[in-house]
Amino acid sequence: MDLPVTTLDESERKLLEIRCDDCGATLTLPAHRFAAICPYCASPSVVDRPAGEDSARRARPEFILGFVIDRKEAARRVQAFIGRSRLFAPTAVKHAKVSAVEGLYLPAWLYGSVAESQYQARIGENYTTTETYTTTDSKGNTTTRTRTVVKTEWRELSGTHATYVLDVLVTASQGLGNAELETIEPFDLRALRRYDAAVVSGWIAEEATLERDEGHRLARSEATSFVEGRIERFLPGDSSTLQSFRTTFSNEDTDLILLPIWVFAARYGTDGKTLRILINGQTGEIQGKLPRSPLKIAVGVLLLLAGLAVAAILAMTVLGVAL
Amino acid sequence: MNAAMECERCESPLERGDLRCAVCGRQAPDTGQRDTALSIQVLRCGSCGAAVSYDATVGAPNCSFCDSVMHLEEIVDPVEQTEGFVPFRTSRESARARLKQWLGDQGFFRPSDLATRSRLESLKAIYWVAWVCDARALVTWAADSNEGSRRSAWAPHSGTVHLEFDDLLVSASRGLSEQEIHALARHYPVHAVAEEATGLADGEPVAVETFDVQRSQARRRIVSAIHRSAAAQVEAYHIPGVRFRKVHTSALLEGLDTRRLALPAWVFTYRYKDRLYRAVVSGEDAEGITGSVPFSYARLFLVIGIVGVVLLLILAAIAAA
Repeated sequence: MDLPVTTLDESERKLLEIRCDDCGATLTLPAHRFAAICPYCASPSVVDRPAGEDSARRARPEFILGFVIDRKEAARRVQAFIGRSRLFAPTAVKHAKVSAVEGLYLPAWLYGSVAESQYQARIGENYTTTETYTTTDSKGNTTTRTRTVVKTEWRELSGTHATYVLDVLVTASQGLGNAELETIEPFDLRALRRYDAAVVSGWIAEEATLERDEGHRLARSEATSFVEGRIERFLPGDSSTLQSFRTTFSNEDTDLILLPIWVFAARYGTDGKTLRILINGQTGEIQGKLPRSPLKIAVGVLLLLAGLAVAAILAMTVLGVAL
Repeated sequence: MNAAMECERCESPLERGDLRCAVCGRQAPDTGQRDTALSIQVLRCGSCGAAVSYDATVGAPNCSFCDSVMHLEEIVDPVEQTEGFVPFRTSRESARARLKQWLGDQGFFRPSDLATRSRLESLKAIYWVAWVCDARALVTWAADSNEGSRRSAWAPHSGTVHLEFDDLLVSASRGLSEQEIHALARHYPVHAVAEEATGLADGEPVAVETFDVQRSQARRRIVSAIHRSAAAQVEAYHIPGVRFRKVHTSALLEGLDTRRLALPAWVFTYRYKDRLYRAVVSGEDAEGITGSVPFSYARLFLVIGIVGVVLLLILAAIAAA
C-alpha cells in the first residue's frame, strides 16, 4: 500500500550533527540516533553539536542514489572479506563485530563538461620490405639471402578531438579521499533520483566538507585523464604515441550527489591504527586494506623455520640410521 | 511534441521526467518545489504512526511495524509511445503493380517466369515504428587512408566537420529486418504526420506495431545510430583517398530532436515453386521496394556449362593446330 509522506512535527525536524576531530568528517544523524564514535575512522573524538549555522551555508545535494544492499548483506560481505585473509589479521580485527557496519550517504561531486582538445601525435604505419643479409653456414661458406621484415614509418599528425565528459564522480568528503572512493566505483547513475529527504530518512548523511572549487579541481584532473585515454584510442596507425594535447573545458557543471556506502571501521592496537572497509551500497563492491599483525607474521615465520629444522634433523637421523 | 524545455548545454529537447540530458548529461532544470536542504527527517507512517526509514531491499521508506511502503517519486523511464502516424500515400493496387514490375526486372540469374509464376500469398498493410531524428553534430575524426602514403600503404589524416541530420530514420521495428529498413530508409520523406492511424481507402485493417523499448534504452540506440551514421558520412565524403582503415570519430551532438513515428508499408509474401518469399513496399513512396527473390541455379549452371564448352573447344582447336 502507498502512504502519503506525512507532515513532520517541528521538534522532529531537529538535526544532530557530529564532527570528527580525527578525519574531519561532518555527519548529520537522525535525531533519535547518537554516535559516540566516527563511522569513518572509529575515532571516539567526535563532537556533538546542533546543526544550523554551518550547514545552511553548505552546498545542497541535487541528486541521490538509494541503497540496494541492506545491513545484513553488508555485514555478510565484511565477514567474508575479513575471512579471506584471516590468518595474519590482528585478533582485534578478527573479533570485530561486523554488525557494526554503518550505512551512510557520502557526498560527491558529479561533474560534466564539453572537452575540446588539440593534439600532436606520432603515428606509426607499418610496411614490409625485403632485405638481403649474409650468413655463414656450418661449413664456413658465406651466403647471401633475403628476408621480409616489417618496418614502421613514423608520421606526424595533429588535430582536434571533441567529446562530452559525463559522469565523473569525485569525493566531497574530507573523511573519505578520492582515491578510496575510486576503489568502489562505478555507481550505476541510471538509478539517479532527484534529492529527496525521504530517501535519507533513518540513515546517516555526511555534509559536503570539500568545497565545490576543490571538487572541481579534482574532477578536472579526472576528466583530463579520461580525455587522454580517449585520444589515445582515437589515433589511427598500427602504433601511435600521443606527444602532447591541450584540452579546453567549457560549459562545466558540478552537482552535489549523495552516494550510498557501507563503512566498516575499527581501531586496533595501542597506537590506534584504523582499519576501514568500504562497500558500494548499490553494487556491493567491497574494498579495504586488511592489516597484517607483525607479531603473527613473525610467529608464522618462526614456526616455519622450526618445522624445517625438525624435518632436517629427522631426515638426518633417518639417513644416519640407514648409513 | 511535448518537449517544452531544452538542455542548456547541447540544446537537445528534454522530456518530462528527465533528470539529466540524455545526450550530454547536463542537469535538467528542477521544476518541482522541493526542500533540497540536506536534512534527516523522521517520517511518520501514515497508517500506524511509527517512525519509518528508507529500506534498501524495498528501495523506498518502509514501516517496520505495519509493513507499509511509502510512495517515492519514481525514476521516469516509460515505454516509448507512438507520437504520430505517417499516412499511406500509395494504394494497394500501385503497391501490387510495383511488386510485379520489380519481380520482372530482377536480372539474368533470376528465373525467367518469376513475374508470371509467382503467386501472391498475402498482402498486408502495416505501420512499423521508428525514431525520426534531427540533430547537429560537430564530428572530429582521425583515420588512415591511401592518400599521401609513402613507403607504407597508409598515411594518417584528421579533420573536423559539422554535420546536420535531417529526418534520420532509426528503426525500432522487430517485424522488419535491419536490411529491409536500410534499403527503404530513403523512401520515407515523412511529408505529413497524423495524430491517429488513418485507415485505408478500401477499409481493410492495418496492423499497427508498437514500441517495446524503454526511453533510456531507446536513447542509447538513437545516439549510437547517429554516431554510426556520422562515421559513415565522414568515410564517404570527408576523408581524402579511396581506401580507409581505422576510422575513428568523436562527436558532440547538439539539438537532438526525436519523433516516435509509425511508418506505412505493404508487406507481401509470395510463393514461387513451393517456397515463400517476402517483399516490402514503402507506403509513402512506391518506388521503395526490397525483398528476397529466388535464385535460378538452372541459369547459373547453364552459364558455367557454356563457358566450359567454349573453353574445351578452344583447347581442342589449339591441340589440332
